[in-house]
Amino acid sequence: MSGWRRHVLGMVLALSAATGAIAQDKPFSGITLKMLGIGDTSVTRLAKITGEFEEMTGAKVQIDMLPYPGLIDKITIETSSDNPTYQLLWVDSPWIGVLGEAGSLQDLTDFAKRDAKEIGLDDIIPVQLQENSWQGRLLAFPASGMIWHVNYRQDLFENQDEKTAFKAKYNYDLAPPTTFAQYHDIAEFFTRKKGEKLAGKVLASDFYGTAQSYSRVQGAITHDYFPIMRAFGGDYWDPKTGLCTMTGEPHVKAAEFMKSLVPFNPPDYLGLMWDIQSGYMERGETAIAGYWSVRTVRLTNPAEAKLPTIGKAGFSASPTVDGKPEPTYTGSLSFAINSKIPDKEKEAAWAFIKWGTSEKIMRRLADEGWGISQFRKSILSDPALQAKYPYYKVLLDTQNNARRRIFHPFYANVEENFGVELSKYMAGETQTAEEALKTACDAVNEQLESIPLETRLRWINDEPVAVLAK
Amino acid sequence: MTYVRSRNRRLAGTFLLPTAAVLFLTTIYPMLYALWLSLRNYDLAKPFIPRIFVGLKNYREVLTSDAFLHSLVVTFKLMAVTLSVQFVLGVGMAILVTQRLPGMAFIRTLLLIPMMISPVIVGLVWLFLYFPELGYLNYFLSMVGLNPIPWITSTQWALTAIAIADIWQWTPFIMMGTAAALQSLSPEPYEAARIDGNSTIDVFLHVTLPQLKPVLISLMFLRAIDAFKIYDIIFVLTKGGPADATETIALYIYRQSFTFWRMGVGAAASFVSLIVISVLITLFFRSMQKSAASR
Repeated sequence: MSGWRRHVLGMVLALSAATGAIAQDKPFSGITLKMLGIGDTSVTRLAKITGEFEEMTGAKVQIDMLPYPGLIDKITIETSSDNPTYQLLWVDSPWIGVLGEAGSLQDLTDFAKRDAKEIGLDDIIPVQLQENSWQGRLLAFPASGMIWHVNYRQDLFENQDEKTAFKAKYNYDLAPPTTFAQYHDIAEFFTRKKGEKLAGKVLASDFYGTAQSYSRVQGAITHDYFPIMRAFGGDYWDPKTGLCTMTGEPHVKAAEFMKSLVPFNPPDYLGLMWDIQSGYMERGETAIAGYWSVRTVRLTNPAEAKLPTIGKAGFSASPTVDGKPEPTYTGSLSFAINSKIPDKEKEAAWAFIKWGTSEKIMRRLADEGWGISQFRKSILSDPALQAKYPYYKVLLDTQNNARRRIFHPFYANVEENFGVELSKYMAGETQTAEEALKTACDAVNEQLESIPLETRLRWINDEPVAVLAK
Repeated sequence: MTYVRSRNRRLAGTFLLPTAAVLFLTTIYPMLYALWLSLRNYDLAKPFIPRIFVGLKNYREVLTSDAFLHSLVVTFKLMAVTLSVQFVLGVGMAILVTQRLPGMAFIRTLLLIPMMISPVIVGLVWLFLYFPELGYLNYFLSMVGLNPIPWITSTQWALTAIAIADIWQWTPFIMMGTAAALQSLSPEPYEAARIDGNSTIDVFLHVTLPQLKPVLISLMFLRAIDAFKIYDIIFVLTKGGPADATETIALYIYRQSFTFWRMGVGAAASFVSLIVISVLITLFFRSMQKSAASR
């Protein structure tokens, strides 16, 4: 063998040895993780940097981002198959019940306990872990912590002309609402027609006092109704029978309150669902809106919303009936592992979850201006980040006194039945709130009654999540 | 001879086997499976609920359900509006495009385009037009000083909006069928009518229409079946809403099967709707036969 040939051969061998060594350093080389996800900030932020995870671990990550409506349908089909396509699943916390009872999600309790220090378990707001539990088992890991709260046009609230006019009309100062009555007044006050003045400027188009979800699609209206209903003192289930009990006075009052806001909403209120609804605030076309904090993150980013360029968004806790603080309605958008995948893939999927939800990544995204509605105390309480994202303080304060969202295995039935019936009531097709709520509740109970009492009671019992047990 | 006949039969059977197998796998087996499902309490999302035999319970639930009856009414309303408008417009357009005028061949091709587009795409196109705040239709209305219309977000307008989209897509189908029939009509009755001094309207009503009747009836029959199954456009535009204003039978079945995951109830509703459409078709054929016999 000639000298140059030996030289080339030596280089090839050295290169392949080095490549092999690198491959061995990467524990999940050859694994591809597919995520059935959503085009929401909890995923979109991360999707841009998944190459870094592959660089570190060798595992490729492919995220399919689908719209929220219909996503649970695809997850249901995916998890009922014995040959899964997706290793990672994006889940909304109310889906935990049905997916947990069906055994579709990997129990993460042992993983989380084993890696408690690495994931900073103590840094996570406890209700976010509770949100992702079913019967005490941790079945998903928070990727974005949500609260139901109020976004408002702070620039309008601080305008002297508007403040004076408000005081003259309602006899109290214009400020973020602490009661639902105040919320109603503010929505009414700011509802203006094209040609009228707003903060001294003539409006080129109608301005809406508020923009709430009244659409039946994927039960969007229930996402607005349930926090209000809970704040009015209502509950979902009868603790003695485990059946739907959403027909009482607080439930009716909450529905009537929502209907009283209809005149202050955009004319397409029956079509308002999450993104369309929040679009009104993002474009600065409404004065106040109760909403999930997951889209609030867009309101401070000029690349994602028009509002920062024409005004300023303000943030406050959700109002209550009497103005006294009470637990906030919370939720969690999370990552879960398909229970039917091989163990090696489970480890890779867990590694991805740890990486994608880590304090390091969360802080980096926040620093770079792409903050996610947070679930980590250290980030939410950071004074520099609080100054950058004013809603962080609201998120932190309210999540410390939060109430878990609905988690029942029949959530889809509740969401759909109440979605349609409440929407019909808001449209005036059903005359009274009582009638609408009774129809929806009866439809849910008709199916629930076939379930043994013992099971029904177990389903409404919120067992404390085991990973938090000391 | 007998041997040859028997061999031919076997050969024919062999050739038919693949078709029969495909037919069995794609039509008969799914239908039998749906029938089996319709008799069970089968929830795909909740495997922890026993999937037991429940007899006719699902059928009873469907037939006594206000939502199902409402969806039936919505379906018939939509069917009545779309079919009548499509026929008036379609026949009119057919008369127009069969005139010997310059550029008619090009116009005829243009008019056929909507029919060739997938209903989902048609839904998306109309979604852009109808979209409450940013839609083109409301933009044009505002340009002429009119108030915006909540096309797909009002219970008063939503069904009309669906009907307009369906009419836009399927009127060309009626036009095409009618135009083909018009071009094949014999010229003799027209010459006779002209010699008798009949007006154009009289000729159309008493010569053209009776000759077109069999074709129009067939077209109506095909469109009626399609209208009964309408799903795609509604799913894209309103998903059955607002409230339940556009929830047709197909949407009701979808909701039971893929929102509640109650496959048994969804299957039962499918069979009920199959029976309804079968009864309609039977009545329709009987009336056609009677009409033919009376002539």
